[in-house]
Amino acid sequence: MNEQVRPVMLEQAAQATERPKQPLLSRRYALEIRQQLAWHRQAAIIGLALLLGLGISAAILIAAGVPAGELLNEFVILTVFDAQSLKAVLFQASPMILVGLAGCMAFRAKFWNLGLEGQMIWGAIGATAISLFEVGPPALRLPLMLAAAIFCGLLWALAPVLLKLRLKVNEIISTLMLNYLAINFLLHLLYGSWKDPKSSFPYSPQFQPFERLPELFEGISAAVPLAVVVALLALWFLGISRAGLYLRFVDANPRVAGAVGVPVQKMIIGTVLISGAMAGIAGFLVTAGQEGRLTQSFYQGYGFSGILIAFLARNNPVAALVVALLMAMLFVAGRSLQVFYQIPFSMVQLIQAILVICVASSDFFIRHRIRRVQGGES
Amino acid sequence: MDMIANWLGNTPDFAVPFALAALGLILTERAGVLALGAEGLMLVGALAGIGAQLAFGSHGTSLLLAMGAAAVLSLLFALMVLVLRINQVIAGLALVFFCQGLTGLLGTLLNWTNKPVKGLGAVELWPLSELPLLGKVFVQNPLVFMTPLIFLAVVWFLTRTTTGLRMRAVGENPQAADAAGISVLGYRLAAILAGSALIGLAGGYISVLSTKLWIADMTGGRGWIAVALVIFARWSPWKALAGALLFGCVEALIPQLAAAGVRLPQYFVLMTPYAVTLAVMIWVASGKNVSGNQPGALGIPFIREERR
Repeated sequence: MNEQVRPVMLEQAAQATERPKQPLLSRRYALEIRQQLAWHRQAAIIGLALLLGLGISAAILIAAGVPAGELLNEFVILTVFDAQSLKAVLFQASPMILVGLAGCMAFRAKFWNLGLEGQMIWGAIGATAISLFEVGPPALRLPLMLAAAIFCGLLWALAPVLLKLRLKVNEIISTLMLNYLAINFLLHLLYGSWKDPKSSFPYSPQFQPFERLPELFEGISAAVPLAVVVALLALWFLGISRAGLYLRFVDANPRVAGAVGVPVQKMIIGTVLISGAMAGIAGFLVTAGQEGRLTQSFYQGYGFSGILIAFLARNNPVAALVVALLMAMLFVAGRSLQVFYQIPFSMVQLIQAILVICVASSDFFIRHRIRRVQGGES
Repeated sequence: MDMIANWLGNTPDFAVPFALAALGLILTERAGVLALGAEGLMLVGALAGIGAQLAFGSHGTSLLLAMGAAAVLSLLFALMVLVLRINQVIAGLALVFFCQGLTGLLGTLLNWTNKPVKGLGAVELWPLSELPLLGKVFVQNPLVFMTPLIFLAVVWFLTRTTTGLRMRAVGENPQAADAAGISVLGYRLAAILAGSALIGLAGGYISVLSTKLWIADMTGGRGWIAVALVIFARWSPWKALAGALLFGCVEALIPQLAAAGVRLPQYFVLMTPYAVTLAVMIWVASGKNVSGNQPGALGIPFIREERR
């Protein structure tokens, strides 16, 4: 064993001493594909990528006029160590968790659901309709609103998945187009028949107190436990239930899955509908939890956040919880930057995009090794 | 009668951005790179165009800078898909979100939002501009008349030159092209840059010549409609031009209906371009020959080490 290794080592040692002689520009490099990489090294690479992304974002923030010394203060200390902000972060996190889970679900079924915003809008419209038309007794009002949100969000996801499976219509385009339809329909309602009669501003009338999500203890809204429960259900669905196992089959190879009797189409349709329903719940949480009424731009930023959370969490519901919490911190910090430094909220989207690009790029270093080729020849 | 003449006369103005963006997408996708970033690059072109117009006031310079800015931003996309081999769907989406955030931020910080600029005078194509009903179609800004020429140049390049042939080979079968000594990544980089410049021109057209001001997210999904248009046109430039005219018709109808006092719910009218896009996608998908003419290696990264 030792004798076999030694010539290789000698060769390497010889190469090592040769190295400094070669001028920098004439060096040649080759890419090798790695078979696998230990998990802690993968984590280190992803961590480095995230740090790089945060560094670039910090540089942009400083260039935009935030004092460098205030960055840590704004993003970490004021959001986590201040009781009021921590509540805001948790509050913000609940719809984030739901859109993130919606993204995870759809991506598990290999469905690019870019229609999270449209489904969210429909969920919110459904919930608001129950409130406006006073359906059911007050005690049942909130559960009915939730049910309506689930139903409407699910329905808005039905068309693209059927079109994809039956006609192979690209779901990226169809879900995006449906977003624009949903946004215009929302504006139609808010500038039309659903306008608040008291102020005639384009938002719906204020919900009744019993139509708003209650505060449970110490000012923490019921939205937070609801989001955690949905996350646990998603974990059960994807990790434990038979459907989750089927879904992994479908993900690995749909044809083989179909051949061994997995209902491939039903699995995909069902999972995408659950994704739409979750986005609908997110719409319900924003309207009944945060705003207390239907407003014209409540959905902004959630669509991309959902995709980003699912991507960074690698479609894992538990990881999605954590990433959603971090995104909520980013959102809360972004709002305070808007107030204190007049930095537009697009900054948040830019930071999100930079993080995605960095983490997606880190995959290259996980899959490949860059090795120097010795000598001039190749 | 007047309304129809106005409607037809406004159609080219609305059709040009779709046409140029679709042409840029076709150029990129014929080399095998799935370009979903059009929406973002159009925004970059639009913002750069307005910025240059506010600074220098020359339309030619503004449009060139719009092209240049989109091409520079597309280097980021090229880095992601060519060097780092990221999934092209993820890279395209990331590019769109990056550009939306960047343009929204810069538009506000540089104070370019809602600042009107002067438009470009119309040119009459004389004998044709005297035609009854159709006359107004031939009174347009110069870029409208240049658009068919740009199409002609790109079609000539793709079908009549060796470079164009090589580029299409890279898109159809990169392994074979590589074996024939064609630099796959080089051609793809060139295709991304050239295509993105055209997409940036489309964006610059919207802001500098059409609406004459900048608002965040002003392209309103036109980039995505262009992506759908390319699928609908089966990667053929002339069909894309026809499709762009169709969408131009639909968009030009919206202000005409409002001006004619037709009482339709406003927001339903604003939905029409998106609804038409969906309808066209469904119509194309339900026809035969669904994947015909799609570049063979579209969306598949070329990795020489994994050569089969």
